[in-house]
Amino acid sequence: MSRTLNGFFLLCLVALTGCTSVTVDEFKRGNASLDATDSVVVLGRRHSSDYETEPDLVECIGKEIGSNGDITVIGESEFVDRLYPWFEPRIAPMSVRSLHRIAQRDDVAHVLREYDVHYIIWVDGHTETTSSAGSIGCSVGPGGAGCFGFGTWEKESAYEATIWDFDQGKVVGKISADASGTSYMPAIVIPIPLIARVQAGACEGLGTQLRKFLKPDS
Amino acid sequence: MQPKRRLCVLRLLLPLMISLLAACAGKVEVQGDFPQPLVDQKNLVVGLVDNPKFYNFQYEEKSKDRLKWTIGTGGAQQKLLSTVVGAMFKQVEPLKKIPKAGSPAPVDLVLLPRVKEFQYAMPRETKVNIFEVWIKYSIQIYDNQGALVADWIMPAYGKTPTAFLKSEEDALNQAVMMALRDAGASFITGFERVPEIKAWLALPRAPITQPRHPAPTLPDDEETL
Repeated sequence: MSRTLNGFFLLCLVALTGCTSVTVDEFKRGNASLDATDSVVVLGRRHSSDYETEPDLVECIGKEIGSNGDITVIGESEFVDRLYPWFEPRIAPMSVRSLHRIAQRDDVAHVLREYDVHYIIWVDGHTETTSSAGSIGCSVGPGGAGCFGFGTWEKESAYEATIWDFDQGKVVGKISADASGTSYMPAIVIPIPLIARVQAGACEGLGTQLRKFLKPDS
Repeated sequence: MQPKRRLCVLRLLLPLMISLLAACAGKVEVQGDFPQPLVDQKNLVVGLVDNPKFYNFQYEEKSKDRLKWTIGTGGAQQKLLSTVVGAMFKQVEPLKKIPKAGSPAPVDLVLLPRVKEFQYAMPRETKVNIFEVWIKYSIQIYDNQGALVADWIMPAYGKTPTAFLKSEEDALNQAVMMALRDAGASFITGFERVPEIKAWLALPRAPITQPRHPAPTLPDDEETL
């Protein structure tokens, strides 16, 4: 009985989720090789004035890369705080060459050695609502409250991850993920949100591909 | 409707009306910590002038077209300054006032930080899903006799994306923290690049000797701060 109920709830959950499509592209300039002691850092680009790479997306990609437990991923805020101010949005290195210039400082080199950083992955992009339609009206009265209407909106994600090999001093690859999905919200007394997990889809797509890039045999 | 029932409905609606009125105004006292910076310490003794306007800075929105936000950044600014200046210089001395020519302070340089401008933008105003904060600082640098070495105008910018279930207060706090971190980064990386400071640093000077009893500082005009 309980198994039937669990199955029913799972079916409801799937039915209550909007559809998302994800496209992942990869450009490879070399093979990655990670030792057991090497670590990877995932950082978000924050220099653009009209958008911001979401910190939760960067964290999600980090978790996805390290999900098998065979890749050590250093958290973004921890890394940026330890190396303050050298990875702040306005002065963060934009090329591997400028990273090596910063790494010539003894204190920066010491922290990078301590973490055993081999790859730095820069994620650039954002998720935005591209269109929306419909309306929902809600009213409250002495007899009760309720909503009626229908709303829909479309979201699009576009992210690009650039992989820097710190040891070799070069870009070894670029992976991009584009995702889009439509969410619906019908309301008959109670609004029922059918949310498309667009950003989560982009995170899964990008994270899985990055894990395969860094550990092809895993 | 019966009087008892009407009273019950009013009781239910009153908190809703109060919360709707409160939604027209917001208050943020910026909270957060700053990391210890990786910086080459300069062999300088620096005096930090106590500026209450800087340490208690609070921006109050005056525009009739915007929500009445009050954003207090003074405490966070004080924290940032003590972290950054403490790491950048050999020694930091608190000073009540800018020293005068007749009574030099036992320091190499004197810093007087001031906030010249503060601006913010909310997502509903810009139609972009980010909270933005701009702060324009004026860092006045004097020598130990009170002569102005440089008036460094230092802009800072911070932004944070909107997030599901994140309040506007939290988002503004985060955007201000990002702007303050940016200010700290600019101060660290830009200090020696300011032409007047660069020229002053290039001058030969005798090391500071600490007097046993520091010279009393004369009262100064409050408006200079």
